[in-house]
Amino acid sequence: MAETIKLVDVTKCDGCRACMVSCKNWNDLPSEMEDFHGSYQSHEKITANTWNVLTFNEQERKDGGLDWLFRHSSCLHCTEAACEKACPENAISHTEFGSVVVDYDTCVGCGYCVQACSFDAINLATYIDKNGKEFRKAQKCTQCTDRLEEGLQPACATACHTGAIVYGDKDELLSSAEDRLAQIKERYPNANIYNPQGISGTNTVYILADKPTTYGLPENPKVALSQIVWKDYAQPIGKMMLGATTMAVIGSFIATNLNKKNHSSEGDQSHE
Amino acid sequence: MNKSGNQKTVKRFNLGFRISHWVNAAAFFVLYISALPMYTEFFDWLYPVFGGPAGARLVHRIAAVAFMLPLPIMIIFDWKGFSNWAKNIFSWKKHDLQFFPQFIKEFFGMKAKVPKQDFFNAGEKINSWLMIITTIMLICSGLIMWFPQYFPYGIIMWAYPMHSIGLGLAAAVAIGHIYMSLVTAKPSMRGIIKGDVSEEYAKDHHGRWYDELQAAKPKKKKHA
Repeated sequence: MAETIKLVDVTKCDGCRACMVSCKNWNDLPSEMEDFHGSYQSHEKITANTWNVLTFNEQERKDGGLDWLFRHSSCLHCTEAACEKACPENAISHTEFGSVVVDYDTCVGCGYCVQACSFDAINLATYIDKNGKEFRKAQKCTQCTDRLEEGLQPACATACHTGAIVYGDKDELLSSAEDRLAQIKERYPNANIYNPQGISGTNTVYILADKPTTYGLPENPKVALSQIVWKDYAQPIGKMMLGATTMAVIGSFIATNLNKKNHSSEGDQSHE
Repeated sequence: MNKSGNQKTVKRFNLGFRISHWVNAAAFFVLYISALPMYTEFFDWLYPVFGGPAGARLVHRIAAVAFMLPLPIMIIFDWKGFSNWAKNIFSWKKHDLQFFPQFIKEFFGMKAKVPKQDFFNAGEKINSWLMIITTIMLICSGLIMWFPQYFPYGIIMWAYPMHSIGLGLAAAVAIGHIYMSLVTAKPSMRGIIKGDVSEEYAKDHHGRWYDELQAAKPKKKKHA
């Protein structure tokens, strides 16, 4: 199967928020009332029940004019996903579509993924079971993997009426992104394609009108050294050490007993 | 065992020291067990024992608080024992270094000639240091993981490997420590449970301490 991605061209977005509504609708997520934050933006940030938020960024241009920058923000589905690496239960994995999904049966709600994500795209939802006990599960955009499996487009892409969100063949979309970037460079000199290579790219690629930091995105996210130390060294070595000490102890037990037997048969009194 | 029953004994650990030791041991055990299903999937069956992951988390946090108590307990209730321990583990002499090659022989049941040791032998001193270091690692990183909202991203991310390394070391140390108390140096168990050990054990395993006791005897008579 050819690789597919979601391409978000923020310069085509008109801020209608249909993507937010369609996401809530398809994923059956409860509405979340928030106080007025002093901006046109409806919600402050992505939460466990609001998987995508349209951010509104007001920015003064060099010539004194105003740029009103919109961005459909949701999980980027990193190729080297920090949430996936952090998960102690291997509950987070990549699908055949390149999307990153949480296995809700395996998730224990520890929140390591929440801390690890550099995009604040994954959060813990709190539920109450039938005995009234609270439990937590990590929740985030699935890139509508359940729709992709049925040959449909992600709900946000289907709802987007300006074509700012499209889903399709990776190579095709990436080359179209290059063409589009050339078109908008004059109006937005800082425009760029956001597909960070420090994490081997993402499955949601952006065409941004300004620097990533303007949109609250890290300029060059990388696989954290702390995660490499933790997952690739500390854990396997720690487990090995437990095994080694246990073996040493068993070895000592056997050797001590064997030697004792030899000694006693020689009539030697061991001191203890 | 009946040998030490009839024999003269010497005081080794005060009550405060022993309580401190067992609070530490119990807390460590509960922390270890309640974290094990998350550490390796092989132990996932332990989740139901705690009533699910949320229950395991709660137990882990309660035990975490208990894990921070041994040092204050020891300082408040057995200052003397604490300062003796502190002085001992900073003292490194020739007989401490000579301990290790002999210890390895003895550990595997061979004949060994261990030089006279302090109140804490060199192995116990190493055990103490590893325990102190891993405890600091585990408590600091654990608090960061418990209250991530007060710490920056970079520090939170390093707390996880710290906790992991601390655990690996601490568990390895604990296995060795428990094994030696149960199998190789069994009479020492009486010291940490009842507080005293047989004179013979003191003489054989902590000769320098025994000599000190003997030297102090005429003046203070068995107290020390």
